[in-house]
Amino acid sequence: MNNSTSRRLALLAILAIAMVVVPAVTSLPAGIAGVKDSGCNCHGTEADSSVTASITGLPETYNASETYAVTVSFSGGPSTDGNMNLGGFNLWASDGTFSTVDDSTQLWGPSEASHTESGNDQRSWTVDWTAPESGANVNFILHVNSVNGNEGNGGSSGDMWNRADVTVLGFGDAPLPEVDPFKVLATLVVISGVMLSIVVLYIFYRKNPDSFDWENFSPWISEWLTSTDHKKIGTLYFVQGLFFLGVGGIMALMIRMQLAVPGNDFISQDYYNQFFTLHGTTMIFLAAMPLINGFANWMVPLQIGAPDLAFPRLNAMSFWLQPVAALLIFTGVFSGQGADTGWTGYAPYVVTETTHSGVSMWAAGQLMLVASSTLTGINFLTTMAVMRAPGMGWFQMPLFTWSILVANLMLFLSIPAFGVGLIQVYLDRTIGTAFYDVASGGDPLLWSHLFWYFGHPEVYVVIVPAFGVISEVIATSARRSIFGYKSMVYAMAGIGLVSFIVYGHHMFTSGMSPTLRFITMLTTMLVAVPTGIKIFNWLKTMHGGSLVYRTHTLWTLGFLVTFTLGGISGMFFPSMGMDVHLHETYFVVAHFHYVLVGGTVFGFFAAIYYWYPKMTGRMLDERLGVLHFLTAFISYNALFWPMHRLGVVGMIRRTHTYYITTDDFNALPEWAADWNMLISMSAFLFFASNLIMVYNMIKSLIRGDKAPADPWGGWSFEWMTASPPPTPSFDPHNLPELKDANEHVANEPGIFGQIFRRLMVSDDAAEEESH
Amino acid sequence: MSGDYHGDNHPSPWGPHDWGHGAPHNSYAPLVMSIGVGIFLLTFGGLFNFGEFDMWYLPLVMVGLAVTGIGLFVWWRQDMSFDASYEPIATGTPFKHIQVRKVGMWVFLMSEMMIFSSLFSTYMRYRQGIPRCDTVFERGMFDPVLNPDGWQEGVAVTCFEPASHLIASSWFHLAPGAINTFALIVSSFTIVQALRWAHKPVGSVDEEVRRKRIYRYLGATTLLATLFLTLKIVEWFVGFPLPEFLHEYNHGHSSIKSLYAEHYLITNDHYTHHSYIDEATGAHMVANIRVSATLFYVTTGTHGLHVLIGIIGLAYLTFKAWTGAYNPQSAVSIEYFGLYWHFVDLVWVLVFPFFYLY
Amino acid sequence: MAKKIMGFDAYWLNFYGLMILTLIEVLAVGADLGSTAENLDMTERQITLWILTIIAVPKFVMIAAIFMHLWGDADSGILTLTALFPAFFIIIMVLFIGLTHPESGIGLPDWCRPGNYGL
Repeated sequence: MNNSTSRRLALLAILAIAMVVVPAVTSLPAGIAGVKDSGCNCHGTEADSSVTASITGLPETYNASETYAVTVSFSGGPSTDGNMNLGGFNLWASDGTFSTVDDSTQLWGPSEASHTESGNDQRSWTVDWTAPESGANVNFILHVNSVNGNEGNGGSSGDMWNRADVTVLGFGDAPLPEVDPFKVLATLVVISGVMLSIVVLYIFYRKNPDSFDWENFSPWISEWLTSTDHKKIGTLYFVQGLFFLGVGGIMALMIRMQLAVPGNDFISQDYYNQFFTLHGTTMIFLAAMPLINGFANWMVPLQIGAPDLAFPRLNAMSFWLQPVAALLIFTGVFSGQGADTGWTGYAPYVVTETTHSGVSMWAAGQLMLVASSTLTGINFLTTMAVMRAPGMGWFQMPLFTWSILVANLMLFLSIPAFGVGLIQVYLDRTIGTAFYDVASGGDPLLWSHLFWYFGHPEVYVVIVPAFGVISEVIATSARRSIFGYKSMVYAMAGIGLVSFIVYGHHMFTSGMSPTLRFITMLTTMLVAVPTGIKIFNWLKTMHGGSLVYRTHTLWTLGFLVTFTLGGISGMFFPSMGMDVHLHETYFVVAHFHYVLVGGTVFGFFAAIYYWYPKMTGRMLDERLGVLHFLTAFISYNALFWPMHRLGVVGMIRRTHTYYITTDDFNALPEWAADWNMLISMSAFLFFASNLIMVYNMIKSLIRGDKAPADPWGGWSFEWMTASPPPTPSFDPHNLPELKDANEHVANEPGIFGQIFRRLMVSDDAAEEESH
Repeated sequence: MSGDYHGDNHPSPWGPHDWGHGAPHNSYAPLVMSIGVGIFLLTFGGLFNFGEFDMWYLPLVMVGLAVTGIGLFVWWRQDMSFDASYEPIATGTPFKHIQVRKVGMWVFLMSEMMIFSSLFSTYMRYRQGIPRCDTVFERGMFDPVLNPDGWQEGVAVTCFEPASHLIASSWFHLAPGAINTFALIVSSFTIVQALRWAHKPVGSVDEEVRRKRIYRYLGATTLLATLFLTLKIVEWFVGFPLPEFLHEYNHGHSSIKSLYAEHYLITNDHYTHHSYIDEATGAHMVANIRVSATLFYVTTGTHGLHVLIGIIGLAYLTFKAWTGAYNPQSAVSIEYFGLYWHFVDLVWVLVFPFFYLY
Repeated sequence: MAKKIMGFDAYWLNFYGLMILTLIEVLAVGADLGSTAENLDMTERQITLWILTIIAVPKFVMIAAIFMHLWGDADSGILTLTALFPAFFIIIMVLFIGLTHPESGIGLPDWCRPGNYGL
């Protein structure tokens, strides 16, 4: 098969698929040709003008649910008195329902009527039509047969038929038609599948236009679908994460458009609820976590000098659960029934029947993400514990690997609580258990407890890897080792430990145990200590070094500013009295966007600019990078900073719209509208500025400069392999060895080391067992 | 980067792996299993909707399970050729010299511990927060002046009715649970016996005897696990008749009713128990016990699900043992599965007293 | 493998021990402990709970130690530590979630109630 033939074939295949996909939402009967099971078929092939069909009894404009007696009749044609049969009809309406009045007519469906055999000897028939409630215009299509009376099915020669169309006006604006959720879902799944295949085909084509045929495509796609290589899976995670970052961003834009002016009704309350719910779920679970996993998959084995992860096939399983879970989470949105509970999904609302049916699928999808995270946790924890290269003790691990270790440990130990909570919700919503049924004694606070037992470690799970990235970048850019390596590690471990006992601060206003409130107030304030240690260590690293201003350095500096601001606004919440005032306002929104966007996302941007050359072997464009940083940093602050002020004056979050006035105590002051407009405009700018990065990545992938093995002068293991690294990343039989000038000091066991050494398998015992 | 592995040694991602060559172990199993699980969870939400059963989704649920099963089959087919000749050993502290898979198994068990802790926390919270039904009953009939806290005829009281009130009320009712406890302990024992036989040094036992012993012990474990689930179904849904000479010891009843037949249900909020009848007036106390039934069924059901997964794993191990795959070198596979199986037993050690006895 | 305890095979010994302890559990539920309860100033249910808990602990340890090889092997020490690692998190969970039932708001100590701020 030569290239042009296969290209043409592929094109034809795409066209064929596209044609199948084009959805037939309503199929209008263009005629009544074709025999039905019983009853009339059109006699003859062409309409005949000598037959005249007419409908009477229909109003010009109908009233909702009113019943009209409709009389259909015809004249002309071969039908003459004295014939055994005179004629037949078929009447179809686009809406409303028919019902019969006598035995001369029958129904072929709620909106289709015809004559019966006993009604064959008439020229006019009467049926009842009940108008719909929708108010939309209704089309009627009438077909009539004028027959010459010869008997039998084959005796239709010489018969004639014609058609008439009537439109009855509705009483109001046509509302959106009701959709069949599963039809919409199926259509969207197929369309997105086709679009995805086109993109994949295009990427494959771009790779090597000369080998665009099935023989080459099949192993290529199968490699991506089945690969257990940590770098390939990392790339897949990365693509998924960036895609959903975009999806979540578009949802945020819809929300901001709605909130741009007071009293807006750009999107309905119903859709608003779905958008903010899925914005949260998407950004945390489908964007931030896959991005972390993408970097972790890529960098952890490279940084510790391991050929791959400990369980590569489990790693593939962790990834493939994610896109399927994403599909489940979005199932409801496709059919207009998306989850509308907020990403926290508070009970008992989450298990009431008035919620959208998509909530079940939202819980099911997150359940799969829980499974995915658990498998990831097993894999990474084991890998980091057992597969470090010779000479690399715990305190020689790069800080990014440490951050992934702490993050995975937190996630791994907390996510089962969330999983159990989700199972409870899913079972409540499916088989009808009563975990959160208040009437039966169910306790809604239990869900909050289970959710936040997981939820608070979770928000640290997404920020701690960013700490790791920043530590790597700032040390490389300042051209010195990180200041206070051990204190950095202990600070991260401390954050991890404390994260489990602070979660109550999310529930100060929920009426939970006051003793617990008191405990979590104190511990939450404690979080500032390890975080402060980290920030001062970063500052001190810069102070002692000399910075090289690359794009990733700029993002790191931006991170230091925004994350510190986010941390300071966070310090208002642990004090309970303050929390009661600020609870559920935009101050909270401002705070967690400052830490999650200004912290996590800025950290990831730094990581993208830092490791992109290593992953692809191509350098990114620095000028575009700086442009991206400047526009994004400015628009980001213009976007989230005013929210603090709006929150303090009482703008409520998760609410569809807001009102301003000069005198009403309960409404916002007039200037709030201007601030909201500024926020919305900045949101669009921020979104657009990130497209610069996407463009930069695609452009550089195609014609960027070739990257050397170590473009930035880093000194951890990943910079010692080629860019991009080979597979397996390191030769399993010839692992790299970490050499330390102070080896005798580095390998001296500390307090923990001495305890561990007593419990470990001694070298002698291992020797003995092998014999 | 693509097609790096594409060569003569490339094993099929559907077929058995070539573990000996250290070749890439590409596999369709993760993708297929994920899709299967997705279909199952999606359609299960249609099969049951707030307790309403819609039979039309049943075939779709079956499709989901079947796709998951295909994925599992591919995974196992690739694993059949694994003979532990390549068993990675940890190189870093503190797990130095320990097999990597063993460490992974223990890490996995950590998350299992958290799952069951969550379930037990739920149980403790409700058990503490909701008064017991017999305590409520003891408060006596409602009287606006004399007993304002009492219960009323026909007004459902929300209270906690532990399953043990039914189960531990008679020896016969307790029998399935008690037999199950022993079945799990015996199965824990048979699986370590299989491990012991696999561990016997080469040359010290006849290989045919070793093969037979291992697969018989593993087969016995499978049977005991199946017995566990069977008795569970009997206890939940079926009930069982008693021989005639035992009737007098069972308050004269000829059979033991299942929990289902006793109306110990998640959906039923009109539960009455024979001991909740006021002797003086003959009034029934009606109890809403949905939360207690939910806790009982979901916690013991989660444990039962673990047993079911164990049965699936054991069936595979038994088959592999039947082919004679286990020897001192590959015995570790039995050991790692054994860790999971013993953990399931450990959970039962806690579930049994707190859900069946107390 | 196949360790000995006082000359007996560890697996068999463990097996018998577990069977006996379970039997005691079942019997303790069936036995009439009414008089003992009165002597100890507890309800019968509390006594049962104590017996069950006290028996569950050795059973737990026996399975973990012998069947799961957390005793006597070269790697037992470090794996026991691994198995105990979640203990802290489980304790937090049980304390925070399991034991703060909804009515704990009215079960507060006096010094934590409004109007009792002075010491």
